[in-house]
Amino acid sequence: MKKTLLILTRNPLSLLGLILVTIIVLAAVFADFITPFPEHVGAVVDFTNFNQPPHWPNIFGTDLVGRDLFTRVVYAYRVSLILAAVVLIIAVPIGVAIGLAAGYLGGWTEYVLMRITDIFLSIPPLVLAMSIMGLLEPTLTNGMIAVTAMWWPWYTRLVYSITRSEREEGYVLAAEVIGASKLHIMFREILPNCVPSIVTKMTLDFGFVILIASSLSFLGLGVQPPTPDLGSMVADGAKYLPDSWWLTVFPGLAILIAVFGFNLIGDALREILGGDQ
Amino acid sequence: MSAPTLKIENLKLGFKLWSGMVEVLHGISLHIGKGERVALVGESGSGKSVTARIVLGMLQEISTARISGSLNFEGIDLDKLKPRDRHHLRGTRMSMIFQDPTSSLNPVYPIFTQFREVLARANPAIGEAEARMKAIAALADVSINEPERVLDSYAFQLSGGMNQRVMIAMALANNPSLLLADEPGTALDVTVQAQTLKLMSDLVEQHGTSVLFISHNLGVVREFADRVYVIYKGRIVEQATTKQLFSDPQHPYTRALLSAVPRITGGGIPDIAEDTAGFLDPLIAHPGASEKERLA
Repeated sequence: MKKTLLILTRNPLSLLGLILVTIIVLAAVFADFITPFPEHVGAVVDFTNFNQPPHWPNIFGTDLVGRDLFTRVVYAYRVSLILAAVVLIIAVPIGVAIGLAAGYLGGWTEYVLMRITDIFLSIPPLVLAMSIMGLLEPTLTNGMIAVTAMWWPWYTRLVYSITRSEREEGYVLAAEVIGASKLHIMFREILPNCVPSIVTKMTLDFGFVILIASSLSFLGLGVQPPTPDLGSMVADGAKYLPDSWWLTVFPGLAILIAVFGFNLIGDALREILGGDQ
Repeated sequence: MSAPTLKIENLKLGFKLWSGMVEVLHGISLHIGKGERVALVGESGSGKSVTARIVLGMLQEISTARISGSLNFEGIDLDKLKPRDRHHLRGTRMSMIFQDPTSSLNPVYPIFTQFREVLARANPAIGEAEARMKAIAALADVSINEPERVLDSYAFQLSGGMNQRVMIAMALANNPSLLLADEPGTALDVTVQAQTLKLMSDLVEQHGTSVLFISHNLGVVREFADRVYVIYKGRIVEQATTKQLFSDPQHPYTRALLSAVPRITGGGIPDIAEDTAGFLDPLIAHPGASEKERLA
């Protein structure tokens, strides 16, 4: 772990990724202290100062009802990070467990589990998430459910393919010979050998989950106002382009930076840990 | 005479495929007495390894496998045993050593963690300190100089020969009465292979373990085994004591196998056609080495 961090800081690109992600996470955690107008997160209206281009103290400008855009972008990061973390914390164990079971047990278990996975994978992700959101109410929790539902199959596929190759390894056979249980072999023998790939994919996915969640809220299916969300901020601002460019550009840049940062780290981890996709 | 450690009678194995049955074993019979070292020799695909897996009860889990015949372990009919009890024999009363020692150890755990799991099979309540002590003693038995360091190492940090010795130590740690050695050391170079086999040979003698030694390497078999079964296409074609077999091979297949061993004096290896007549001749048992005489 220490060594991995050390290698990360040596490569300029991954160092950049590390710095970007650190800044984003710190900003989201300490949003209450670093933003000039924390109260602008909610339904605040200030018509004396609405739709202003960047100026002091509103360095990103203000939105259509006079709220500080910088404040809202930082708080939107908090929402996005929580969403991405929750989605991955739920989707990864589900996907990994199904992939392990399908890959190791084989037979009918494999058929059934992998065909279900294929069905999920065959539906375009955004369409799947949209239809789930369409059925449910558009709230943050349901947004997480929708994104989770489209995310776990990728982990199933990843872990399934690793398990298929690992189960032919001698140590699995050796464990079977000494009478280890199936659960023991799946979770104690094979799973640790999948961890590098899983960690790599999770880092890469962190950015993509943020992107997908933003896409959903851009379409009006995600987080609802007044809670700030990068996707819906871009959507709201898009109507006023190009005159009120700051409404779109800053939240858009925020999405870009987050996805970019996580991707840089993910790529570096893939090289260090040798995880394959 | 007490019951042999392992007695296999008329064992047949087939796999049911869409296109019909594929027969793999055509009724083989063999036995291993207590403390005896028996070799099963044959070319690739002759059915050596599947025999070992059937003994361990690992092929029975495959739904396409069709197995018949009887398996007797220390006088107990294995097929009449409850799956649970049978499962319990693995790793305690019988264990196995594989071809490639390095891949047989999980790369993500240090040796000790894996050793402890093996010991816990026989004694689930074993403590950290006791397991460590036992592991160190077992490693010292296989001539590992720094057992402490080895226990805290990962498999990829050790040499192939070391890993092989670790595997032997693990396989014998619970004092099994039967050891199945599936081409041990084939992945190692010849000198290391010879050393580890010598070591294994001494150890099984000490422990009084019976060994089913599966190999295609006749030189190794000659050194190691007391008795030899030659297997060809799922049939035992010749059985004899090691001495008898090497001094007077009688079955056409055994002769072909022996002539295929490269010799240091040169002369080349003869071309042997895949289906030479006589290879499928019935079983030839040397005097005093047939199942009937041995088990009488």
